[in-house]
Amino acid sequence: MALLQIAEPGQSPQPHQQRLAVGIDLGTTNSLVATVRSGIAEALPDADGRVALASAVRYHADHVEVGCSAREAAASDPYNCILSVKRLMGRGLADVQQLGEQLPYRFQAGKSHMPFIETVQGAKSPVEVSAHILQVLRERGEAALGGTLTGAVITVPAYFDDAQRQATKDAARLAGLNVLRLLNEPTAAAVAYGLDQKTEGVVVIYDLGGGTFDVSILRLSRGVFEVLATGGDSALGGDDFDHAIARWMIEQADLSSDLSPSEQRYLLQQACAAKELLTMQDTVEMQYKNWQGVLTRVVFEGLIEPLVARSLRACRRALRDSDVELDEIESVVMVGGSTRVPLVRARVAELFNCTPMTDIDPDQVVAIGAAIQADTLVGNKRAGEELLLLDVTPLSLGLETMGDLVEKIIPRNTTIPVTRAQDFTTARDGQTAMVVHVLQGERELVSDCRSLARFELRGIPPMVAGAAKIRVTFQVDADGLLSVTARELGSGVEASIQVKPSYGLTDTEISGMLKESFENAANDKHARALQEQRVDAERLLETVRSALQADADALLTEQERVLIEERMRALDTVRKTEDINSIARHIQQLNHATNEFAARRLDATVKAALAGRQLNEMEG
Amino acid sequence: MNVAAAKASVCSMAQRTDYFALFALQPSFAVDTAALAVMYRQLAKDVHPDRFANASAAEQRKAVELAAELNDAFQTLKSPTQRALYLLRQQADLPEETTIQDNEFLLQQMEWREQLEALQEQADLKALEHFKQALKQARSEIDDAFASCVEDSQQRLQAERLARRMQFLDKMFYEVRQLEERLDD
Repeated sequence: MALLQIAEPGQSPQPHQQRLAVGIDLGTTNSLVATVRSGIAEALPDADGRVALASAVRYHADHVEVGCSAREAAASDPYNCILSVKRLMGRGLADVQQLGEQLPYRFQAGKSHMPFIETVQGAKSPVEVSAHILQVLRERGEAALGGTLTGAVITVPAYFDDAQRQATKDAARLAGLNVLRLLNEPTAAAVAYGLDQKTEGVVVIYDLGGGTFDVSILRLSRGVFEVLATGGDSALGGDDFDHAIARWMIEQADLSSDLSPSEQRYLLQQACAAKELLTMQDTVEMQYKNWQGVLTRVVFEGLIEPLVARSLRACRRALRDSDVELDEIESVVMVGGSTRVPLVRARVAELFNCTPMTDIDPDQVVAIGAAIQADTLVGNKRAGEELLLLDVTPLSLGLETMGDLVEKIIPRNTTIPVTRAQDFTTARDGQTAMVVHVLQGERELVSDCRSLARFELRGIPPMVAGAAKIRVTFQVDADGLLSVTARELGSGVEASIQVKPSYGLTDTEISGMLKESFENAANDKHARALQEQRVDAERLLETVRSALQADADALLTEQERVLIEERMRALDTVRKTEDINSIARHIQQLNHATNEFAARRLDATVKAALAGRQLNEMEG
Repeated sequence: MNVAAAKASVCSMAQRTDYFALFALQPSFAVDTAALAVMYRQLAKDVHPDRFANASAAEQRKAVELAAELNDAFQTLKSPTQRALYLLRQQADLPEETTIQDNEFLLQQMEWREQLEALQEQADLKALEHFKQALKQARSEIDDAFASCVEDSQQRLQAERLARRMQFLDKMFYEVRQLEERLDD
């Protein structure tokens, strides 16, 4: 076969070369990075052997400190130590103030609606703060694996809305990570758990972390992890337990409620320590300034009861949405540090009428699941069963219609990716523009839902009211991110956006930060960008090469094949140069040349899959 | 090889897809949903975007479209109401809004609405459960009736009427679900 000769000697990557990929659990309290090595998924430790990196960032005038030393400094330097930043991701200033707690930071509004935090290094957005954490993890991964990462899977709470997901992806981009997929945390946990225990059937993942709560109900079947329903609360977690204890202390010690940021931090640290002690013992002695008191487990449970009840309501709702009966549930898996609290375990056991599984490390399971998915996505074949995750959208997506109402286009718990279209019309004679207001949430009224984006379709030809036909198409991709297109069907006028949430960073803000981060980066920016382009080029060449080998004869004309081969040779030559732009351009050209080929291959795949099935049917 | 043919089949993918054929089924209201789910998972393994995480941008986009279409096909055939409407649309055009008179069902509709309103006042979960069972019973009778007339073109009107009843029942179930959620809060 002529095609085999395309590869010139020495240029072909080793056929079984492992691509470097990691899974990252970007948590409220702690973050982890994990990878698959020699078929085993494991969390990667730092130089001191610790796998958990405290999700705490401290800004100094000339450098940034990440980890537990930054957390410990929170009481003495509250304005510059940012803790639990995940709770601020993708939220507006007003949301943050509604979180129902006093946060010891100085906020200011940015050009976007994001809450910026004033620090000694100037105003920092939650995205930037998160990027510092991710960067430490990326460096840890690269050091352990000895090379540039092909990509990373980053986990997010299943109940994160579009704005929160987009913010997470932006943070990864700032940290120089290629995001292979955003993966829902409970789904990641299910992967780690399911593969480990070889479970089949319906599994519930109850994931109560530091700042977020998720519940997912999945059906596990021969390597396919199908999420049936998910629910949760992206502002409920162990941090709220701490705040409840702190409020109790304020009340008991008769403190004024406007404490200084340092005092607040100190109280929260005391509260957190007390909460942890109450897992093992029935009482804990507490002290603050002149006050001394005893917190019993009973009192503590009374304080957190309403919070636990909130999580159970979300469980019941997910259960109803999944159409699964209680007795079908195979097991309930506890994930997240806050599931160590005895009351949480007891209530969950009661609701699902079975003993929850707690034997896998609730702190590491998410990162490990993400690592397994990352490994699969970069194409490192796992021994045994293929793995496929079918996830859902956590919240309904819709549009504003007349009368401040929301018309749902994609209901919650719809399997992704999904594309849905709905036709609308004009309300007035001669109307030439239409505002498309995209919303997320379950309520009927616009004001009760999360506003994701607003854009305008202009240039509609003037017609009588009701005559124009405007098709609005929603597409949610496998990361759970939404894009929306509006099109007037008669004239073909089109407007589309990748939804940039109202509470996200503007593109200008991101490019400014990228520039800044490059300038501040210790390692050479040019070298890094060049390396990334080279990796992309090699990956693409390898993909096309194997595609040609498999399907060129069947799907391409001689002429088409010659063109693709020419562009491959051109890319192969420039990728050895230092010219980043030229490499990028050649990548694009080769991509362009293979577009049609790609479409044909996919179609052939579907046909082949179908033909195979029908054959099996007949044999069976 | 026939490039033209391959190309044509790609271009017509969207229009061509017959959801039943996609799952190697004959068009029929009777569908073994368990077997359908198994088939769906098999097909998803081949077209899910995760399979193309390393492919070109074009292939990735195409995979998202295909997977979305597969998901839609599965959802359509899994839901008895959607399946019924799909079958009717395959046979002939189906108007968006119902235009058929259904006086017999109208009374029943009004009765259920009144019951649901009363339940909203009572906030009684047991009574609500009872009501749900009654709806389920009605639903299964409608399904049976639909199955017995959908393939007979003489009874097209009746089939449409039954499909509209299914839609109404779906709406009732949705409202019951909303009420359950409210009572749970």
